[in-house]
Amino acid sequence: MADAHVELSGLGRSYGETVAVAAIDLAIARGEFVVLLGPSGSGKTTVLGMVGGFVRPSRGRVLIDGADVTELSPAQRPTTTVFQDYALFPHMSVAGNVGFGLAMRKVPRPERERRVAEALDLVNLTGFGRRGVHELSGGQRQRVALARAIAVAPSVLLLDEPLGALDLALRRQMQDELVALQKRLGTTFIHVTHDQEEAMSIADTVVVLNHGRIEDSGPPRRVYARPRTLFSATFMGESNLIEGTVEAREGALPRIATALGPLVVPGAGEPGDAVVLVVRPEHIAPEGHDDGRPRLALGHARIASAVFQGNYVRATAISLVDGRSVRLNLPPAARIAPDDELALTAAAEDVVVLPRGA
Amino acid sequence: MRRLRALPSIAILAAGYGFIFLPVVVLVLFSFQDGRLPVPPFKGFSLDWYEHVFANRRLMDGLGHSLAVALGSSAAATVLGFLAAWGLARARPRWAGAAQYVLMAPMTVSYLIIGMGLLITFNALGIPKSLVAVGAGHLVINLPLAFAICYAQLGEHQATVEQAARDLGASEAQALLLITVPMLWPALIASFCLAFTLSWDEFVIAFLLTRFDVTLPVAIWSMLRSGLNPETNAAGTLVFAVSIVLVLAVETLVLRRARRG
Repeated sequence: MADAHVELSGLGRSYGETVAVAAIDLAIARGEFVVLLGPSGSGKTTVLGMVGGFVRPSRGRVLIDGADVTELSPAQRPTTTVFQDYALFPHMSVAGNVGFGLAMRKVPRPERERRVAEALDLVNLTGFGRRGVHELSGGQRQRVALARAIAVAPSVLLLDEPLGALDLALRRQMQDELVALQKRLGTTFIHVTHDQEEAMSIADTVVVLNHGRIEDSGPPRRVYARPRTLFSATFMGESNLIEGTVEAREGALPRIATALGPLVVPGAGEPGDAVVLVVRPEHIAPEGHDDGRPRLALGHARIASAVFQGNYVRATAISLVDGRSVRLNLPPAARIAPDDELALTAAAEDVVVLPRGA
Repeated sequence: MRRLRALPSIAILAAGYGFIFLPVVVLVLFSFQDGRLPVPPFKGFSLDWYEHVFANRRLMDGLGHSLAVALGSSAAATVLGFLAAWGLARARPRWAGAAQYVLMAPMTVSYLIIGMGLLITFNALGIPKSLVAVGAGHLVINLPLAFAICYAQLGEHQATVEQAARDLGASEAQALLLITVPMLWPALIASFCLAFTLSWDEFVIAFLLTRFDVTLPVAIWSMLRSGLNPETNAAGTLVFAVSIVLVLAVETLVLRRARRG
């Protein structure tokens, strides 16, 4: 991407024999909210550290605004970081913390005070400047860390699991505030998390990482609906996996032999290919459901458990064909009970076909 | 019943404290003796001997020398110990473990051996006995202490906070002076005060490495050679009082704050 704001090219980091991040390529557009999503040990924090300048890459380059910053120190980069444990300066007031970066840039005091007040307004901490860091709650400290990082008007803001220590309600609220703040500032945000719900609710682009490699990257809706790899399909939300082998092509579509019988599904694959069908729990419905799209029969199953969740019923069924457990989410009106037997179906175009090795 | 059973432990505790503090109490008590001998019976309260101490040129010189040695060696030990700890904790060289052992090693050596070693070394180098030599000796015994106190404070969280400062544009020196030093202030004060008390009443090294200008403990020792006298009690009490004040200062300034934080 020629107009990429942040560009990682062949970026990697090894510790001795251990590869934390393999050579990854990623282009991030200006003003984009990018979430690096992956389990612990996936290398997401290492990638962030290499962008921020805290981790020296073993190979590859980091470009910001087309300039190579690979060799620059954190202070010289147009990035700031919101750290996981906030890393506030405990001996300074809130205003001292937020104004620190401006003081280092020798911004004169009147302007510094104005910009500190602005940054505090942006994170809804108006009037907190004179307080000590020790007097603040966890959520407030989080906001101070955020204000401190945006006060110097960085061109890229890096967030290292910033919401990890907050309780669920506060985390949801902060997610919304982060998105609003990012839209208002227009700053490029790179946010690291292991929480796939958080990723889906805040990201413009989700980058799914596993074992130091990019598994998938794109808008959350696309990554969820059409995951590119098995890992991505199972890490971003729940999935039912049905293994099969492509038998033949029926017109443009592959016919796949599975334990549930032959299934014709839109997707790639040549005869002989080992594939996996990915079916999301909410895409499964009992036979008779008709939304005008062609449906696949997924065999009969007996309900093992059904839990009412408010806006849906979360159920587990045991397939009567191969004895496998199937996860399905049904509309809240669905009247099902354990031991009910259902014929399961899913719309063919909702099913994703992936090569088995992916 | 319960109280009866607790009696032996109370007795042991009392005996323990008595063993530790009785000599000090006797020393302090007989510094106020209204008479010529610091032995029972106590003949009445008097501050005469303190007057003697303050009029005693030798003791007052010793006091000044002790202060200078303690201030100098404690400040040097604290600064060097802090820098060593910071360097090892941040640069994390491969030999950090070995360096740590070497830095801590003087703690295991007796003051007598350190004093003799310095005496022989200084002799061989042609450096005369002096208060500076004593200061060097006290630096040897206090550096491990300062290093250990500071090193314990420079963990992962402290490293992230310094990283945040550099991320916001601070240079290495700015991060050190504006963030690390203020955050470690309690540890630095604690290290200075503890080093000061150790240097303040240290005798063996001071005795071996001084000749004409002596420290207070050495001056008191030479007074003791001419027999017991309430004046030495008064001088000893003053030495003890300074140590107590410093330990209390550490306790209130540092430990209490640490417990709150």
